[in-house]
Amino acid sequence: MNEGGGRGDGGARDDFFSEAQELVDGLGRDLLMLDEMLKKGHVEPEIINDVFRGVHTLKGLSGLFGATRMAGLSHQLEDLLDELRLGRIDVDAGVLDLLFRAVSLYARILSSEKGEAEDPVHDVEQLLLALGHVSNRREGEGVGAVAQYELDPGLLGVLTEYEEHRLRANIQQGFALYRIRALFSLATIDTALDTVKANARPHGEIITYLPTGSGGDADSIELEILMASKASLGVLSKAIQTTGVSVEEVQRRALSHSIHATGLPNPPADAGAATPSISLHPAHPREAPPLRGGRSSAPAPLSDTPSLVASNVPSPATGAKTSARPGSGEMSLRSVSQTVRVDIRKLDRLMTIVGELAIVKTAIAKLTDRARSRFVETREFATELGRLNRSFERHLAQMQNGILEVRMVPLGQAFDKLARIVRQISREHSKEVNLVVTGAETEIDKLIVEELSDPLMHMIRNAIDHGIEARDDRLRVGKPVVGTIALNAFQKGNHVVIEVEDDGSGMDPKALTAAAIRRGVVTSDEAKELSQREVFALVFMPGFTTKEVATDLSGRGVGLDIVRTNIAKLGGVVDIMSDVGIGTKMTITLPITLAIINVLLVEIGGNPFAIPLASIEEAIVLDEGALRTIELREVLSVRGVSLPVCRLDRLFGFASADQRRGRSFVVIAQVGDRRMGLIVDELVGQQDIVIKPLGRTLSRVRGFAGATELGDQRVALVLDAAALIEEVLVPGETRFFGTADAGRS
Amino acid sequence: MAVLAKVRAAKRAAMRAGEAGTRTEYIAFGLAGETYAVPIGQLAEILRPPPITEVPRAPRAVIGVVSVRGRLVTVVDLRVRIRLPPASMDRRSRILLVDNGVEHVGFLVDDVQQVWRLAPEEIEASNVLGGDQAAHVAGIGRPAGFEGNVLILLDLRPLAESA
Repeated sequence: MNEGGGRGDGGARDDFFSEAQELVDGLGRDLLMLDEMLKKGHVEPEIINDVFRGVHTLKGLSGLFGATRMAGLSHQLEDLLDELRLGRIDVDAGVLDLLFRAVSLYARILSSEKGEAEDPVHDVEQLLLALGHVSNRREGEGVGAVAQYELDPGLLGVLTEYEEHRLRANIQQGFALYRIRALFSLATIDTALDTVKANARPHGEIITYLPTGSGGDADSIELEILMASKASLGVLSKAIQTTGVSVEEVQRRALSHSIHATGLPNPPADAGAATPSISLHPAHPREAPPLRGGRSSAPAPLSDTPSLVASNVPSPATGAKTSARPGSGEMSLRSVSQTVRVDIRKLDRLMTIVGELAIVKTAIAKLTDRARSRFVETREFATELGRLNRSFERHLAQMQNGILEVRMVPLGQAFDKLARIVRQISREHSKEVNLVVTGAETEIDKLIVEELSDPLMHMIRNAIDHGIEARDDRLRVGKPVVGTIALNAFQKGNHVVIEVEDDGSGMDPKALTAAAIRRGVVTSDEAKELSQREVFALVFMPGFTTKEVATDLSGRGVGLDIVRTNIAKLGGVVDIMSDVGIGTKMTITLPITLAIINVLLVEIGGNPFAIPLASIEEAIVLDEGALRTIELREVLSVRGVSLPVCRLDRLFGFASADQRRGRSFVVIAQVGDRRMGLIVDELVGQQDIVIKPLGRTLSRVRGFAGATELGDQRVALVLDAAALIEEVLVPGETRFFGTADAGRS
Repeated sequence: MAVLAKVRAAKRAAMRAGEAGTRTEYIAFGLAGETYAVPIGQLAEILRPPPITEVPRAPRAVIGVVSVRGRLVTVVDLRVRIRLPPASMDRRSRILLVDNGVEHVGFLVDDVQQVWRLAPEEIEASNVLGGDQAAHVAGIGRPAGFEGNVLILLDLRPLAESA
């Protein structure tokens, strides 16, 4: 279905995807805010306008790129949102569900456009059908309420349908109407009007403003501002104390008179929607009274109709956000934000260049040393060169940090999507769940955020699905009816920690072990040796995801092996702790960035390897005498604490493995709270490196996070400490994964 | 709108690319005494082997990784990859770099010989060799006027997908 003009031009299509994705994300955030407001019982009209604008922009964008399914869905949504905006339909949980469904469908359509997923034809059609039903469900509202006020029929005649709706809504809430007359000089009207608006805004909503056609001369103009407010006349006049401004309250008139005045009998209820616009638009040519089905295409909401003026007055709650976003009315023409959108690959390229420069820098330093030590006559020259090189080094480091900073984004980007998932899943399971997020501002590399969304979604799905108990069960054990899932993020040294904690039923270690033995994941002898941590880690085993286990253990572990694999790919680890009846906590520990890392260079079997310093605790000389073998596993006593060790030359199958003499070193690696000693032949030194991923051909080889170029054209493999620790320390089949082809030398 | 300008530029580029000769250039190389050839368009570059870093526990056909001007390249022994006996590297060994759309993959060959320009009628379909030929054998090249020169035409792209 991507028959559009974008085909064949990756750049333009990429722009489309990133722009559309941003819009869809924005919609999701707005809907969540709407959901909040709905729960509190007060919906800001501006938020619905935001959603409307987002959908409208998306429609235009998808039309441009021939994404017809997306454009069609947007069109129908726009109709519904227009009805909501004009108050013809009330916002309720059902309608909101449809909107949320639309947002998740947008995401699926986008990935099908990219060719990553199937086209969700069926789901789109179903949603369209449901949208059609709602759009037909109109309700009559406070007909005639407006007519009770002493408002100038001329003014009422030029109100747009939206303004009219706001007027009615405010009257229904019992707010008083005020008429503000203000004389503005033409030279300063922009700023002066803004001042009046800003002063008035805290007290209520400005419905509309119009020139009065009197009181002005060639250099000035008088405006009449219609405003609804719960403040008294005194308070309001005081707030808008500017010269040339008068405030008066619009009085009610007698009811019988009002009906007589509009010349219409009280309308029957079923004609309610159409009637007010007839009675209030006696001869208004601009807008034909829309009937069932809403707008066709013409009345563009973003054009300069007076409705914009009203919608452009941000309410205090949404103001800041609205003005920073594109598509918010007039502001979108001028660029409000100072940001530039950059493809992450461009940053990767810059980062690579910085890395190459670092290599050059190392080479120059070596040359300088040579010039200094060998020849007396070049010593002065070498000193000069050395000074220049240090300055180069300093600036390079600044540039490196600058690029790294640009790559960092708040984790909130991933968390926003999760809040949507929580809402959706908890409604599916009819469980009430409250998501409590802390540390959304914690920053992490953009690439990591992208890769985190799915694992986090799996974890949260599990927590709701199987952790949080059904309502009755919670009541029985005296827990609050509403379950809580806490999503906490914080930085810890060079790592970012993310915790997903639920207050659900927890997991029983005995039941877990029993199931693991039954599934053949461990033998009963092995099971006896497992520590509690290892027992919980069993849920990450691939074999642990079947139905049979699911019924016994309330299904914990669905898809969790995927979580562990994905986190491991990012150089992180997942840990899990649980208390029966109290809840479960899963902890992800991740490196902050993937791009540049500080490593310890070592040599194993004559080959250079790099170990990220972030995962190193210390490096010591190996004392062979302190080695013990416990259950076929070598353990070293370090200052009275046992440390499992791994001989990397043996693990990697290097030929020289068993004939080496001389001293070796132990690099003590720590990831999360697991520790292991890696035995290496030589310690070479520290270096900053640009880590590059191994190619696809090598993606199944375990134990390496990537590779890096050293100054001398050689390539060193970067050890993935987390994967090695996992491989060596965690029991089960993972130990042999990827080693089937080993032994080549 | 910048997006539209890009679309137009892409269309213009596509139109320009319409004209090309009917002959295809193949580059010929040796493997275990036979002559093989690949369309020159499949190659990004031909390299003398730099020092290669061995990757422990890699698939058998993978020799290791090298850095080509800052780009990490996996080097595959093409002999092993297409099930010929392996051989050690010497002065004439070369690495053929292939871009598989995601990354560059290097194939080690015994030597690189010459370029052949083959017309369609000089290429026999691969099924002359019998029933099931592997996907990477694209056909047999018999350059007219050079009887006795038989080129086994390879498609390196499927080989660059995995090892």
